[in-house]
Amino acid sequence: MDVLLSSLLGGLKLSAKLILIIVPLVTLFEVLRHLPVFRRAGNVVEPMMRGVGLTRDAAIPLFTGIFLGIAYGAGIIIRVAQQKGLPARELFLMGLFLATCHSVIEDVLIFVVIGGNGPAILGVRLGLAVVLTGLMARVWKPA
Amino acid sequence: MNDPGTSAAAEESIPDVPTRIRTGLAAGFWTSLKIIKVSVPLYVAVTLLKETPFLGLLGKVFAPVMGIFGLPGEAAFAFVAAFLLNMYAAIAVIVPLHLTPFQVTQCGLMMGVAHNLVVEGGVLSTTGTRGGVLTLCRLVVACGAGLLLRGLWGLWDSAASWATTLAGHS
Repeated sequence: MDVLLSSLLGGLKLSAKLILIIVPLVTLFEVLRHLPVFRRAGNVVEPMMRGVGLTRDAAIPLFTGIFLGIAYGAGIIIRVAQQKGLPARELFLMGLFLATCHSVIEDVLIFVVIGGNGPAILGVRLGLAVVLTGLMARVWKPA
Repeated sequence: MNDPGTSAAAEESIPDVPTRIRTGLAAGFWTSLKIIKVSVPLYVAVTLLKETPFLGLLGKVFAPVMGIFGLPGEAAFAFVAAFLLNMYAAIAVIVPLHLTPFQVTQCGLMMGVAHNLVVEGGVLSTTGTRGGVLTLCRLVVACGAGLLLRGLWGLWDSAASWATTLAGHS
């Protein structure tokens, strides 16, 4: 009985920790994501995106996925991908990048809370995403 | 279409700040419910299972596979939770296992790449690209990332101990 009670308490404490991170993070993101700064950021990231075979059309779904995650950002990712009529090659490259590197802020923070090394997780994921997508873009040439 | 990057955002009407805060809080609230619903039962289940021989047995079976990534066999249970459910479920399994900082980092990295495969595979395939291929990519990338981190961590550790020895001599 003692074990049950203490584990219940442990589970609730863990949930509380995670919630304390997630709620402010999601709220902050909702408030900030419409700022004009992020619209103009397109110019800065364009050369970087070209390096991994992507054009500006993929910027919004890509960055939504990187910061928000695939499930939460699904609405935006699907809508923009269809509106823009992104070619299959670009959709695949974007998918590959996001598969490796998505929802980074939330994922990293919740593992830091339980004792993980944040920079190590972030660094390896971002590095691998850039290398893999860049390689794939060179293997699969644009039509 | 001289500026395609911004026109897509402009098509979305911009809500005012109170609405945005409300949207964010509502999303946070639903996520919180999801976290409690999944994490608390799993945390309790793993803590109770630790008292039985089951978890140890499961650990022994998966020890060879998990060992490749520097993880104990019991971590396999956390990977199942991550693949089928989400990161919160995985964390609820990891915490009662009392892993080392490296092992927690390793789990965070590998599960960060490959989690919630069922739901996210669905989303990825609706964009028109093959969801199955990308899901397979995620599993392969997760394993590659795990090997890479293990190597890097080892290098970092030996570099750190080398530096302290050097500092000790000077």
